[in-house]
Amino acid sequence: MSRSDEETEEQQVWRVLSEAGLVEIRLDEFAERIRDVKRIVIVRLRELLDFNSGIQERESAAHSLGTLKGLELKVLAHAPKPPDPSEM
Amino acid sequence: MKSTAKQLRTEANWPPEEGQIISFKSSTGSETTILKEVRWGLVWRDFILEDGRVIPEHRISGCPQPQVWRKINEVTDHEREECEERLLSMAGAGMDPRRRDQSFWAELNQYLAYTYLRFKQAEYKVRDAER
Repeated sequence: MSRSDEETEEQQVWRVLSEAGLVEIRLDEFAERIRDVKRIVIVRLRELLDFNSGIQERESAAHSLGTLKGLELKVLAHAPKPPDPSEM
Repeated sequence: MKSTAKQLRTEANWPPEEGQIISFKSSTGSETTILKEVRWGLVWRDFILEDGRVIPEHRISGCPQPQVWRKINEVTDHEREECEERLLSMAGAGMDPRRRDQSFWAELNQYLAYTYLRFKQAEYKVRDAER
């Protein structure tokens, strides 16, 4: 029996999200997590384009990608700047 | 403390009602406060406190296990699009998601979790179909 057979759906969701670091995102990891999720969306979008299928899902994935990109830019703009080495 | 507030005592009453006193884990330890509202996000329930902080259900004391999650296909396109608009609007207004337990932090957490599950699950389904 595989691990996924033993788990309830709820436990599986918890594990998947925990492993991806997405249950409670650490404050200094938002940009990284947004990039991770973007990668997942891009993979899916490529699949949909390769198979020329799922027009609605394709549009939706492209829209989500745009949202993530916009959020990434804003989050990066507010990211605390690392200390200037010349001032250390 | 409000005299009308009711003390939450058992899991049988889950989720607690507005006005009940709840305990939760915060960054500084355990806190007790009054619940203003319980609201479903895209994936899990958020507990809105009287002071405006937003606490995910799993951090509330007495949360039954396993936690209840929303199925991805329960979220409508309209709901997702509204969430995306809100997030972009909050980001555009200069809100910082690194302010823990605030609405932008809470909503961005849920959106990323939802988007990950949505497209990751689709990937699994394609692989299963190919086997």
